[in-house]
Amino acid sequence: MIDAVLQDIRYALRWLRKSPGFTLVAVLTLALGIGANTAIFTLVHAVLLKNLPVVDPNSLVRLGDNEYCCNLNLSSMGPDYTIFSYPGYKYLRDHTPEFDQLAAMQAGMADLSVRRAATNANATPRSAFGEFVSGNYFQTFGIQPYAGRVLSPADDTDAAAPVAVISYQTWQHDFAGDPSIIGSTFLMNTHPVTIIGVTPPAFYGDRMSTDPPGFFLPISQQPTLGSSPERDEASLGWLFLIGRVKPGTSLPTLQAKLSGLQQQALSTLPDMQTAYGKTQLAKAHIVLTPGGLGIANMQHQAANSLYLLMALAGLVLLIACANIANLLLVRGMGRRAETSIRLALGAFRARIIRQMLTESIVLACLGGLAGIVVAYGATSLLLALMFTDAPGLPIHAAPSLPVLGFAFAVSLLTGLLFGVAPAWLTSREEPADAMRVSSRTTKSSSSLLQRSLVVLQAALSIVLLIGAGLLGKSLNNLEHRDFGLDASNRVIVNLNPLKAGYKPEQLQGLYQQIEDKFHAMPGVQNIGLSLYTPLQGTSWSFWVFAQGEPEPAAGHFIGSSFNRANPDYFRSVGQRIIRGRAFTDADTATAPAVAIVNQAFVKRLFKPGENPIGRRIGAGVAANSSDYEIVGVVDNTKYVDAHEENDPPMFFLPLLQPGHFGPKHLDSAPAKPAAIDASLYAQALVLQMNALTPDLELNVRKTLAEIDPNLTVDHYATFASQISGNFTQERMISRLTLTFGLLALVLASVGLYGITSYGILRRTSEIGIRMALGAERTSVVSMVLRGSMLQCALGILIGIPIALLCAHFVTALSTLLFGVQFWDLTVLSLATLSLSFAAVIAGIIPARRAASIQPMDALRTE
Amino acid sequence: MIELKHLERSYKTGHIESWVLRRINLNIRQGEFVTIMGPSGAGKSSLLNVLAMLDDQWRGSFHFDGVAVHELNRKQRADLARRRIGMVFQSYHLLDDLTVAENIDLPLSYKDIPKADRTALVADALDRFNIVGKKDLFPSQLSGGQQQLVGIARAVVHSPTLLLADEPTGNLHSEQAREVMELFEKLNQQGVTIVQVTHSEVNAAYGSRTIELRDGWLTSDSAAIASEVQQ
Repeated sequence: MIDAVLQDIRYALRWLRKSPGFTLVAVLTLALGIGANTAIFTLVHAVLLKNLPVVDPNSLVRLGDNEYCCNLNLSSMGPDYTIFSYPGYKYLRDHTPEFDQLAAMQAGMADLSVRRAATNANATPRSAFGEFVSGNYFQTFGIQPYAGRVLSPADDTDAAAPVAVISYQTWQHDFAGDPSIIGSTFLMNTHPVTIIGVTPPAFYGDRMSTDPPGFFLPISQQPTLGSSPERDEASLGWLFLIGRVKPGTSLPTLQAKLSGLQQQALSTLPDMQTAYGKTQLAKAHIVLTPGGLGIANMQHQAANSLYLLMALAGLVLLIACANIANLLLVRGMGRRAETSIRLALGAFRARIIRQMLTESIVLACLGGLAGIVVAYGATSLLLALMFTDAPGLPIHAAPSLPVLGFAFAVSLLTGLLFGVAPAWLTSREEPADAMRVSSRTTKSSSSLLQRSLVVLQAALSIVLLIGAGLLGKSLNNLEHRDFGLDASNRVIVNLNPLKAGYKPEQLQGLYQQIEDKFHAMPGVQNIGLSLYTPLQGTSWSFWVFAQGEPEPAAGHFIGSSFNRANPDYFRSVGQRIIRGRAFTDADTATAPAVAIVNQAFVKRLFKPGENPIGRRIGAGVAANSSDYEIVGVVDNTKYVDAHEENDPPMFFLPLLQPGHFGPKHLDSAPAKPAAIDASLYAQALVLQMNALTPDLELNVRKTLAEIDPNLTVDHYATFASQISGNFTQERMISRLTLTFGLLALVLASVGLYGITSYGILRRTSEIGIRMALGAERTSVVSMVLRGSMLQCALGILIGIPIALLCAHFVTALSTLLFGVQFWDLTVLSLATLSLSFAAVIAGIIPARRAASIQPMDALRTE
Repeated sequence: MIELKHLERSYKTGHIESWVLRRINLNIRQGEFVTIMGPSGAGKSSLLNVLAMLDDQWRGSFHFDGVAVHELNRKQRADLARRRIGMVFQSYHLLDDLTVAENIDLPLSYKDIPKADRTALVADALDRFNIVGKKDLFPSQLSGGQQQLVGIARAVVHSPTLLLADEPTGNLHSEQAREVMELFEKLNQQGVTIVQVTHSEVNAAYGSRTIELRDGWLTSDSAAIASEVQQ
């Protein structure tokens, strides 16, 4: 049997070598189809399927089943808990012996300004991400250090010396793998921290991320290095938990126990003492989920897009299969005599099928090999399109073993798919045909199959073209919607004075200095300072209350986004003041507390037609409702989500006026003397320029360094590119769908061309007779074109309902289509026209060739 | 060895039925060298297809060495043919992609014969037909006579008891044709029953018996004539 298979493979290779043209076209077609699928699978595997590179990932469980992030009030986020406070974590950890280890990790990332103390004292600090983790973090994941040591529980105590573990990537990239780094002291946010070890090269933390943490710090250092003192606040959720369960542990039992413990941990919170709080507390629970993938934020964000791309790539492969099947059918016609001889010599039909399938599979495997090369290039391109500016992303284009396995499996499947029909049809030859000297005409069954395959290709192509059209239009709608902003000639500079060691009382001087220095820069029109900027991917939000309005029932509080702004901020981002005034220099820390709100805020909190100017509002709890006086109303803008249809309420406070976002007793509690309002630290500088010059970034960095060398630039971008960055995923999907659509169009056209040409070859004598009998060239052209257009039209008729059905599902299940109906007539018409035009081109060439047949020559072929 | 009784074959084209073999009664004994002759369209190749068991759309009875072929299903007929019959074609029908040795091996590869035995049988055939030196050549590298030699070697490599040849010298010049016919004669002397279809009287002369077909009817059989003469 093995001999026979090897013989079949040998014959197949010989057969392919003999027809280099066919082999090249088939291998290239397959390479594109298999390559596209393998490239998408590389991402699917890396993002959605691959476990963390840790010891026994299958015994890890995560507490929680959603992706809330990053600092949340636990009273308001239940009842399904995913995020935990530090006291809550310790309570759960200490009461669950079922866990070998239960580790806590920061839900967000710590913004760090890092400088190695021992080197040049004047060196500029660099910006980096850190992550606060529990002392048993590495122990939980079974991670051994690449060099030095990893954190231990002893490092995670208030009395312990401040230490950190550097990631291998940061060690290599920023410090050139310098071994002397271990034991050296770094200044992190101006505080000394000793580096004790380097993580192993493959370890990228507990989650797939475009910016994996460069430093792992014990939670004990959070109050010193963090932006706000959340560590010991029982009501503030900021930690994710992953544990390694002991063998034999019943997860349902553990889950029930954890839910009970969570209720007990939350029961001490003041908000849980109310009647509403008590009902919420009773519902509080924790769902255990597999922890092998770690914190799966990126998986959740990318899953829909990746599955859609996988489906689209699958369609392209199907079209490629139909094309190759057609080519094989044509070649099968040429091999009818050979098949008859084999049958006449005693071959079983199964054996003929096996041999032909072997040929198809060998061809598909060659296509698969070439596809791996295509996949490597396509994956690199996809990574660049999907994750722009993410050098630390732990996904590599080089094919891994599972990816190679996938490519092989797809190749096998593809070979079977495109080979089975030609093999079956060829095996139906009659052995008696071998006795005849000349071959006869093609049988109608294979001809019908060939035409059906072209119809299938046309149908699949129209599905892809409509998909590309809808997604393209959706992207266009998104990019050109009115965000209520003006992004022209504006740049955003992200910085963080907290990292540079500024105390709240120093901020006024710093902000003044920034405004003065940048105003002195040539070309600057307006300088905005704020906590964050529109469509930056950041958000602060609180419950809001208006004085004099009835307090909403528990569970129906109104949430509002919050930001801080200097007097020029609104002008700098192009947000219009439509009532009242902007902030002024007079709105200082000691001046009466004022706020500016947007129209959506007014609509949600006040009665229609009511003048909000002069009304008082507050945030956090109803008792704060008289804190700020509304002095202005601004236009609605898209701030957090560029896709959202409804504008969310938003309120702004002056940069330095104190904010109250919780019960007042917390602000002044003696237990928290070091509590600072992190919102006082402006983290975004907006520059409205006369024009954007090439040296602007350099000048900005220079100016900031002149103000304070410790003020590191975390990120620099034009406002337009920041907004555009919100559509990276949509743009990538749209471009890929368009590429797939065009590829499908080319493949379908080639298929139609091939079948029409072959048909004409078979009908040479018939056409000759027609012409001898007086048929004109135009009638021959139209006869041939009619045939090819009929197949195209059938494909369109079949494809459009399928496309509409798919688009309807995509619209219903995701937000991928924005402002486009799934039946958009323009898109449907354009797609139909494109395919029809391609069909005319594919048909006209063989049709003209048919019309040039000389009757005498044609009749000679009979 | 072969006994055909009232064998008929027709093709239907629309409502019209065209008869290619009409009530054929024929007995062929072991070791005979039979030539089938007749004009084009007489049914010669159709009869050969029936004898080769490549065609199963005929009516009547067909016994092969006592086995009632008309009672066998398609698979059983193919199996019987695979074991007992060899075929030589006018156009040689060698597979272009296979070497001489691989072409000869082809009928063996469709049987349950171990690789080593197959290799030995192919080597014997190459030796027997004096084409050892050409075993790695492809058909396109051979002359017509050499190709037909390979075709015959392929037909007899599995030692069939019946060798069927359809115009075996139709594409050869006279010298090559003579060599092929002498080879058939030799095989016949070694005990192989041969049935050939030919237009050539010269080739027919190598056989021991000639039958003639016209319009599907068996119109003449030299064996019957001889028997009548004896009587």
